[in-house]
Amino acid sequence: MRNLFTIFTLAICAMTGAGPAFAAGADKPASNGTIVAFGDSLTAGYGVPESEAYPAQLQRKLHQAGYQWTVINAGISGETSTGALARVEWVMKLKPDIVILETGANDGLRGQDPVLAYRNIDKIVATLQSKGVVVVLAGMRMLKNLGPAYTTKFAAIYPRVAKERKVILVPFFLEKVAGKEGLNLSDGVHPTGKGYAIVTETVYPYLVKAIKQKGGA
Amino acid sequence: MVNLRFIARQMTGAKRQCAVFILCVALSMITLVSLGSFRESVESSLLRDAQSLHGADIIVRSHAPLPSSIEQEIAALVHNGQAKSARFWDFYSVVQKVTGEGSLLCDLKVVEPGYPFYGRVLLGSGKALTEVLRPGSVVVEQQLLDRLRLRLGDPLKVGNATLVVRDVVLQEPDRPVNFFSLGPRVFVAAADKDALGLIGLGSRVEHVTLLKLAHKGDLDAIAARLSSVSDETRVRVATYKNAGSRVKRFFDNLLFFLNLSGIFTLLLSGFGIQSTLFALLKEQERTIAVLKALGAKSRFIIGHFLTVTLVLGAIGTLVGLTGSFALQHFLPSLFSGLIPAQVTLQISFSAIWQGVLIGLLVVLLFTALPLYRLKEVKPRAIFGKEEAARIWSRSTWVIAGVGALFFLSMVLIRLRDLKTGLYFVLALVGLILVSYLLASVVLWLLRKSSPKNLALRQALKGLFRPHNASLSIIVTLSAALGVIFSLTLVEKNLDASFIESFPPGAPNVFLIDIQPDQKEGVARLLGPGATYYPIVKGTVSAVNEKPINPEQERKSRGDNLGREMNLTYRNDLLTDERVVTGGTLFRKDWGDTLQVSVLDTVLKMHDMKVGDSITFKIQGVPMTARIASIRTRTSSGFTPFFYFVFPPEAIAGAPHTIFAAVRVDKNRISPLQNQVVAQFPNISVIDLTETVVIFGRIMAKLSTIVRFFTSFSIAAGVLIVVSSVFATRYARIQEAVYFTILGARRRFVLAVFAAENLLLGLVSGAIALLMSQVASLLICRKGLDMEYLPYPADSLLLLAATTLLVVLVGMAVTLPLLRQKPVTFLREQSDE
Amino acid sequence: MTILQALDVTKNYRIGNRDITVLDRVSLDVKEGEFLVVKGESGSGKSTLLTLLSGLDRPDQGRVFIEGRDITDLTEDALAPLRNSTFGFVFQSFHLVPSLTALENVSFPAELRQDRTARAKAEALLERVGLAHRMASFPHQLSGGEKQRCAICRALINEPRIIFADEPTGNLDSVNGSAILQLLLELQRERGTTLLLVTHSPEIAQSADRVVTLKDGRVVTDAAHG
Repeated sequence: MRNLFTIFTLAICAMTGAGPAFAAGADKPASNGTIVAFGDSLTAGYGVPESEAYPAQLQRKLHQAGYQWTVINAGISGETSTGALARVEWVMKLKPDIVILETGANDGLRGQDPVLAYRNIDKIVATLQSKGVVVVLAGMRMLKNLGPAYTTKFAAIYPRVAKERKVILVPFFLEKVAGKEGLNLSDGVHPTGKGYAIVTETVYPYLVKAIKQKGGA
Repeated sequence: MVNLRFIARQMTGAKRQCAVFILCVALSMITLVSLGSFRESVESSLLRDAQSLHGADIIVRSHAPLPSSIEQEIAALVHNGQAKSARFWDFYSVVQKVTGEGSLLCDLKVVEPGYPFYGRVLLGSGKALTEVLRPGSVVVEQQLLDRLRLRLGDPLKVGNATLVVRDVVLQEPDRPVNFFSLGPRVFVAAADKDALGLIGLGSRVEHVTLLKLAHKGDLDAIAARLSSVSDETRVRVATYKNAGSRVKRFFDNLLFFLNLSGIFTLLLSGFGIQSTLFALLKEQERTIAVLKALGAKSRFIIGHFLTVTLVLGAIGTLVGLTGSFALQHFLPSLFSGLIPAQVTLQISFSAIWQGVLIGLLVVLLFTALPLYRLKEVKPRAIFGKEEAARIWSRSTWVIAGVGALFFLSMVLIRLRDLKTGLYFVLALVGLILVSYLLASVVLWLLRKSSPKNLALRQALKGLFRPHNASLSIIVTLSAALGVIFSLTLVEKNLDASFIESFPPGAPNVFLIDIQPDQKEGVARLLGPGATYYPIVKGTVSAVNEKPINPEQERKSRGDNLGREMNLTYRNDLLTDERVVTGGTLFRKDWGDTLQVSVLDTVLKMHDMKVGDSITFKIQGVPMTARIASIRTRTSSGFTPFFYFVFPPEAIAGAPHTIFAAVRVDKNRISPLQNQVVAQFPNISVIDLTETVVIFGRIMAKLSTIVRFFTSFSIAAGVLIVVSSVFATRYARIQEAVYFTILGARRRFVLAVFAAENLLLGLVSGAIALLMSQVASLLICRKGLDMEYLPYPADSLLLLAATTLLVVLVGMAVTLPLLRQKPVTFLREQSDE
Repeated sequence: MTILQALDVTKNYRIGNRDITVLDRVSLDVKEGEFLVVKGESGSGKSTLLTLLSGLDRPDQGRVFIEGRDITDLTEDALAPLRNSTFGFVFQSFHLVPSLTALENVSFPAELRQDRTARAKAEALLERVGLAHRMASFPHQLSGGEKQRCAICRALINEPRIIFADEPTGNLDSVNGSAILQLLLELQRERGTTLLLVTHSPEIAQSADRVVTLKDGRVVTDAAHG
C-alpha cells in the first residue's frame, strides 16, 4: 500500500518534472560579477551530476576565456513560470548582475495557457530590469505533440517579451539538442551532459554580450 | 480378515467422537477444496486479466519509433502467421474547440485496429471501439465534454486535424486501476495519425506495439528473441506475465495470506482429528486390552482401527466435498466486485483430487500417533491398571518430525517461499512451546492454591486427576486459540487502518502549485474541509557533513536522496503521523539550532539518527539542520506525507507553493477543474476519485474475504474444544455419580464441573490472549508497519466467548447423565 | 424399631426386546442396629434390591420407607441429605474419587455438610483402620484392601444410621476380605449402625444377625442367624 503511494507521489514529481537538484558550487572566489542561472530542471540539470549542468559548464568556459565571473545555479526542477515569478525576490538576494532566465517549459508540459507564461515572464523581466539586472532570456519551444496551435503560441512568448522589454534573447535554448537521441536522457526531454555542453555553447555568446553590456570584463 | 461388524460397532458406540472426527476431516476438506478452487479461479482469471490489462501477449514499448531490427522481427512474425500486431501511440496534446474558445490538455491514444487484443474498451454507446473509431472520429472521456462544453457530434481540433467526437469511453482495459492523468483520454484512429502531425522529431510520444500470439507456448521464446535484437535502454519488451500488474501483486498478497490461513486450518483440523481419535481409543482401551489378552496381535488391532479411521475419513471427505459444492453458491457474492466479472468461481477437479490427497495425508499423519500408541496398551489394562501416557516417547518424536516436514512442504508448495515457510513452522513451534511454558506455570500455581469453597476446590482437584490430560488440553487450546485471537486482532487493526486510510471523507482531489497569494482564492473555491500543505523545494546535499552523491543515490532501487525533495513546515503532526524517536516533533532545548523532523522511510535511504545533521540546499541557499525527531505514518491511504518537516520560522521565508487535498463529489470535479483553471491557470488539479473509490472497495472486500477464510480456523478451534472436553468426560461423569451417591445435590455437582471447565477455558483463553496480543503487536508494528491497538474490550469478549464455549460444551456433556439415577452408571461400571 | 421397610418392590429391566423381572414383589423390614445379609446367586436380584432400598434406584412397583418416610418418589436432590447423613455406602469396586487422596476421600461427605471438624474426623477414622501412613495416597496407589478400608471410613464419617454394603469383599482376597468384614462388624457394633450387606458367600452370611435369601427375584428364606 505504502509503495503505491510512493509511486504515486514519485509520478506526480515526475509529471512536474522534479528531479535531482544539486548542491551548488563551492564558496564564491573573488569574481568580477555574479550571473544567476534562473530556471527549471533544464537549468538545475535534472538527471546529471551538478558539474555537468549548463551553469557549471558555463562558468568553466567563462573562466577559461578569462572572465572571472561566478555562475550560480538557481534552477528548480518542475517549476513553472508562476513559481519563478514568486521567487524573484529570493533570487535578488544573490545580488546578480546578470540573470539567464529559462522558464516556461513546465507550463507547456501541463498544457497551461501560454498567455499566462507570457505574463509571468514579462513581469519577471520587468522586475529584474528595474533592479538593474541584465537579462538573457532563453527562448523555449514546446513538444510537437502538444499541437501546432499550442506550440506556435508558446514559441511566440519569448520573442515578444524580448522585443517589448529589449532583452537579449537566445532564440532556442535547446538548439541542436532537443529531440536528438544521443544528447538526451531516456525521457527524451532532459539533456545529458553532452547535451548541456552544446547548450553552453549556444548560450555563451549571448552571455558575453550581456557581460559587455554590464560593462564588465 | 477385517471384521466389519466389529468396526461398525466401534463407530456406533462412540457416535459423538466419530461425529467430531468426521467434522474435522470435512473441515479440512472444505478448506483445501474451496481455497484451492478459489486460488485456481483467481490465478486463471488473473492471467486472463493480465492479458486484458495489457491488451496483448507481448508489449513492446519505446520513446521513439522502433529500430528496424525489431521492426523486421515483428514483421516476420506477422508474415509467418505466428502473431498479429497492432500499434498505438500515447502522448499528451492540447486539443481545441473549433467553435468558440477553449483548449484542454488531453491524454491521446492513437490506436490501430486490433487494439486491444484482450479485454474491451467500454463505450457509452455499447458498441465496439473498431466500429466507432473510424477515420475522422475521436472517442473521448466524459470529462472532456464537460470541461470544453461539447457534445457528441461536435468537432474537435486535434493537432492539424479536425475530428468529430463520436462516443464516450467509460473504461479502458489496459489503464490500470490507479493510474492518473493530467488530462482526459482521447482515442484517435491510426488512419488519422499522419493528419495530426503530432508525432515525430521533437515529440515525447510512447510508441507501443502489441502482439497477440497464435501459439501461447511460444510466448517466452518470442519475447526473448525480440529483447535480444533491441537495445534494452531504448526498447522495453514485456509479456503479460511479467509486465507487473498492480492488480496481480495485490492478489498475490491476498492469496499468500489465504494460503497461510488455509494451512493453519488444516493443522487445527489435524489436531482435532488426533485428539478425537485419542479419546475414542482410550474409551476402547479395555476392549483392546481384552483382545490382546486373547492373543490378538497389535498389527491386527491397529489394522482394524485404521480401517475405522479410514472409513470415518472417507465419510468426512464426502461431507466436506458436499460442503464445498454448497459453498460455491455463496462464494461469488462474497467476491463480487473484487474479481473481474468474467471469472466464474467453480470447483476445479484438480483442487478436488489435490484436496483428497492432502486430506488423506493429514488424516494418516494425525491418526498415526494414536494408532501407534495402541501397541502400548497392555492386557493388564483390563484390570483398570492404567499406564501413565508417556508423552515424549520416540514414536512421538518421529511422527512429530514427519508432521513438521509435511507442513513445511505444504507451505513451500503453496507459498513458494522458503523463508516464510520456515518462519511459519518456527512460529508454530514457538507458539506451542510458549503455551506449554505458560500452561505449566499456571497449573503449578493452581495446584498450590487451596480455595475455601468446596466446589471450587474439588474443581481444581479434578484438573489434577491422576493421568489427567489437563496440560495437553490447555496447550492445544491455547495454541489454537492464540492463533485465532491473533488473526482476529490483526484483522481488527487492518480494518481500522483501512477505515482510517479511506474514510468516507478522504481527499480525492489534489491541487498542486498553488502560489501563496492564491491560497485565499483557492480556499474560497474549495470550501472548508480542504487541507493545505506548504511545499518548499530543496535538495539534500550532505548528511553529517558527508556529501551526497546524486548519481550514486539514484542507483538505489527505492526512493533515494538524490532527487529534489518537497520540504514542508509546520509545528504539529498530521493526524496519521506519530513520533517514533525523539519524543516530540521539535525540541525546546536546542536553542537556535535549525531542526528538522525526518520520516522513518528516509532511514531506509540513508542511515541517520536523532542528533545527526543534514545539509539542505534550498534554492541555492545551504542550510544545515539537526534531526530532532523521527516520525512514522500510521495510515496507508492516499494522504500526503513528507520526508522532512521544518519548524515554520525556519523556512517560511523561502519561496514555496501550496499543495491542497480535498474531497469533492464526483459530479463537481469537472466544474471545479474549470473554475480553478479559469482563475488560477498555473494550478494543476489531479483527480484521484476512481482510484480512491476502487481501492477502498477492494480493501473492504479484502477484509471480508479474510474473515471468511479465517472463520474456517475458528470452526476448527471449536471442534478442538468440543473434542477435548469430550475426551475427559468419563472421569467427570464418574465423579459426578460418586458425589451424588455421597449426598451432593445437583447444584454442587454442576458447580464443580462448571468450575472445572471455567478454569480450563479461562486459563487457555488467558494464555491465548496474552500470546496473541504480543504476536499481533509484532505482526502489525514490524510486519505490516502500522499502528497497533490492543482492543481491550474485544479481547475480553474473545476470552469470555471462549470460556463460555468450554463451559457450555462441558455442561452439555455432563448434564444428561445427571438426570439418570446413579445406579445406571454404577451398573455400567461394574458390569464388564 | 423398623428403620427400613420395603413393600412389594418390583423391578423390571428391558434388555434388547425382552422384559426381565429382576425383583418380584419383595418385601422386607429391617430393624435398627440389625446386621442383615441379603444372599443369593448371581442374577438373583440382590444387588438390585440394595439399590432400591438405598434410594439409588426407583422400583417399578412398591414402596420403600426410611424411618417411616416414603422415599420412593423423592427427587435426587431430596435424597441428597439422606445419602449424605443417613446412609453410608461400601461398594465392591470401591468407587473412590480418583482425584482425591485417601484423607480427602474420607472427609468429603463431611465437607459436603460443611462440617468444620471433617479433617480431624477423617484422620481419626483412618488411624483407626490402620491407614494413617497412607492418608496422602491416591486411590490408584492403594491396594484393594486399603481402598476398601478407606471406603469404609468414608461411609462412616457422617455417622450414618444405615450402611449399605454391596459385596464389599468381592474384589479382595480371602485374607483381606475377612479383615474387612471384621472391621465392618466391629464398627457396626461400636456405633449401633444398621448394616445391610449383600453377598453370595455363605461364609459371610454366617456372621449376620439375619439372612434373607433371594432366588429369581423372590425372597426364599428370611431367617435369623445365630
